[in-house]
Amino acid sequence: MAQISNMMLLLPEIILLGFACLILVVDTFSTDPDHRITYVLSQLALVITISLVFYLHTGATALAFGDVFISDPMSSALKAMIALYGLVLFLYSFEYLTKQGWVKGEYFVLGLFAILGTMVLVSAYSMITVYLGLELLSLSLYAMVAMNRDSASASEAAMKYFVLGALASGMLLYGISILYGITGTFQLNELNQQILQHSEQTGLLVFAMVFIIVGIAFKLGAVPFHMWVPDVYQGAPTAVTMFVGSIPKIAAFAMAMRLLVNGLEPLMTNWQTILIILAVLSMGIGNITAIAQSNIKRLLAYSTIAHIGFLLLGIIAGSQQGYAASMFYVITYALMSMGAFGVVILLSRKDFESDLLEDLKGLSDRNPWFAFIMLILMFSLAGVPPFVGFWAKWFVLKELVASGFIWVAAAAVFFAIIGAFYYLRIIKLMYFDKADETPALEATAQMQVVLSLNGIALLIIGLSPGLLMALCLSSLL
Amino acid sequence: MVELLVFYFFGAVLVISASMVVTIRNPVFAALFLVLCFFSSAAIWLILQAEFLAIALVLVYVGAVMVLFLFVVMMLDINIARLREGFVKFLPVGIIVALLMLVAMSLVITSGYFNREEPAIQVSQVAGYSNTTQLGKALFTEYLYPFEIAGVILLVAIIAAISLTMRKPRSNKTQQPSLQVRASKKERLRIIKMKAEPKQDAGGQSS
Amino acid sequence: MLENYFPILVFLSIGTAIGVVLIGLGLVLGRLLGHARPDSEKQSPYECGFEAFEDARMKFDVRYYLVAILFIIFDLEIAFLFPWAVVLDEIGMAGFWAMMIFLGVLVVGFIYEWRKGALEWE
Repeated sequence: MAQISNMMLLLPEIILLGFACLILVVDTFSTDPDHRITYVLSQLALVITISLVFYLHTGATALAFGDVFISDPMSSALKAMIALYGLVLFLYSFEYLTKQGWVKGEYFVLGLFAILGTMVLVSAYSMITVYLGLELLSLSLYAMVAMNRDSASASEAAMKYFVLGALASGMLLYGISILYGITGTFQLNELNQQILQHSEQTGLLVFAMVFIIVGIAFKLGAVPFHMWVPDVYQGAPTAVTMFVGSIPKIAAFAMAMRLLVNGLEPLMTNWQTILIILAVLSMGIGNITAIAQSNIKRLLAYSTIAHIGFLLLGIIAGSQQGYAASMFYVITYALMSMGAFGVVILLSRKDFESDLLEDLKGLSDRNPWFAFIMLILMFSLAGVPPFVGFWAKWFVLKELVASGFIWVAAAAVFFAIIGAFYYLRIIKLMYFDKADETPALEATAQMQVVLSLNGIALLIIGLSPGLLMALCLSSLL
Repeated sequence: MVELLVFYFFGAVLVISASMVVTIRNPVFAALFLVLCFFSSAAIWLILQAEFLAIALVLVYVGAVMVLFLFVVMMLDINIARLREGFVKFLPVGIIVALLMLVAMSLVITSGYFNREEPAIQVSQVAGYSNTTQLGKALFTEYLYPFEIAGVILLVAIIAAISLTMRKPRSNKTQQPSLQVRASKKERLRIIKMKAEPKQDAGGQSS
Repeated sequence: MLENYFPILVFLSIGTAIGVVLIGLGLVLGRLLGHARPDSEKQSPYECGFEAFEDARMKFDVRYYLVAILFIIFDLEIAFLFPWAVVLDEIGMAGFWAMMIFLGVLVVGFIYEWRKGALEWE
């Protein structure tokens, strides 16, 4: 019989779903071309979700719904982060959409569903739930990428994203079905037990695991499954790019944690080897290709690929501290990436995306404050001490060395140094080049405030990284 | 015996039609072969006593999805020749990937693990066994949460489909008799008070 | 259980056999009895109406697909109702309300598409 106990644990998801449905209906009744009610209600939904996550947070691990749902410290921490980032993302998005003049109610509703999908994924404790959460997230994102129908590049990006994403989902399902065939269970904990009992089947288990890793690597955008990343980042509207570049990365991290660590831990030595190849390739190709880019969105796409390589290093370390370091990395990376795209949105005007590197020329003359924010962001992304990106890299590398992967760590440092070049070039453009034209910034006060807060938050985390790291550690131990 | 024969028959049809889907030149035929493909897999599922899934496959895929597919393929102006471009160029890559997959698949099949026990047949020999009942029980108890998420995914599909394809209602020029009939004097006729003017010519025009 | 489907199998095989025999017979007899000496004039479309001046495939209004997609979604929803109806007395209130929530979520979708005018056809 159904174990419909612990329904309370699902309250944030239920409320979010309820709000999303309500907003969908309310939006069809509003005649406001700016869809301001939709936007405000969406933000309200996220605020309530965050407070519910905090309210329900006990620090204990509990299962619900026939053990397909888990609520543990990691899920609570990630859910709160996701909803918080959702707030910021919606704010940036609203600014962007109003500026470009195509605010759509569906944008926010689909955004809420994407956040819901991420939350489902974060607390999934069964391969079925992982898959469904992933699909909910991906489906919403595909639609969001294509939402600006007048843009041919957005449609193309959505097409590529959709076709490759469907292929990756297929791969993931294939792996899941083989694992089910061997072990007879979807539930991750039982899967873990069953694998120990079926050690004679390691060959087949590893075969299934490879497909699962392909699915995860695609979602993360790790080389060689990164082909979609640059095109989608460049083609999608900047607000959606920001979405694709932040919350799904947290989701993919959670997915890797659930599937590889909770489910397939007995096969750790096997997945470590595969992940090392993915990580080193990602860091190498991401950083080197980024140097040749002239479009900021494309550059940030390759930078994402490189960062994903770093993110994987913490999981490769295979210790609780390593996972915590990865979690720190993904949380701070998402914040940095949102800030960087936020600056692109800040500089954009109607029918002008401002996505070329040249558009940043002489930003320090035009607006010294936001040039400074961009400076923080770029230093953070490059990993210059004492900015937060440095600490993220440092924690990951420390754990990697502690687990004995010294050569991988050395390669990571090497590629990080190469990568610093293109971030510093952006800073050079901003501070030492003259702007060709200096149109005034068109940005609302709240956009300016939030972007400033985004930068300052990174600065503060960079100055005292111990606090966030302690949170990450406590949510994994 | 009969069961085995039927299985081999539908299995052969399935393999042949599936390879036709990818090799045939005309996309309409390819879609029709896909229908045949779905149909034979439904038959194979039926042999496995998965009645509900077999019927759902015919109902949903053959009945709805493939009809939409055929619709798209037949109505869209696809240039068949252009679709075929680069076939030879990408053939080696395709063959390599296919070979890799073949090796991998044979690894799975020859490992012999899946054949060790045959639970499907054992379970189904219980009197009154119904696949639909089993499925229903599992779906609405054990997998209740995934089931609800599936509902949400369908909702997202509705939103995505509508927001991506709906355009503003076009201003078409057809008559709308209902509106015409309902038109009242107030809407059509405006009476303006004017000062009387001296007569200009015969007939006298008023505005 | 499979015996119940035997009539369908018989029906299918007879249907296939009749189709194959009739078409096959037609082809074979036609080949044997008739004589085919095609030339370019015989095969030109002059007798069969106008020459084609346009490809039969043309751009179609996307709303056709919208209706079809919406149909598929609700078709899938119905597919879930079958196993639910079969086991309704065994799954208790929880199962009942599970389906109600599922339907409720889709009703929201239905309201949305109604309000958006996706079901209207001018």
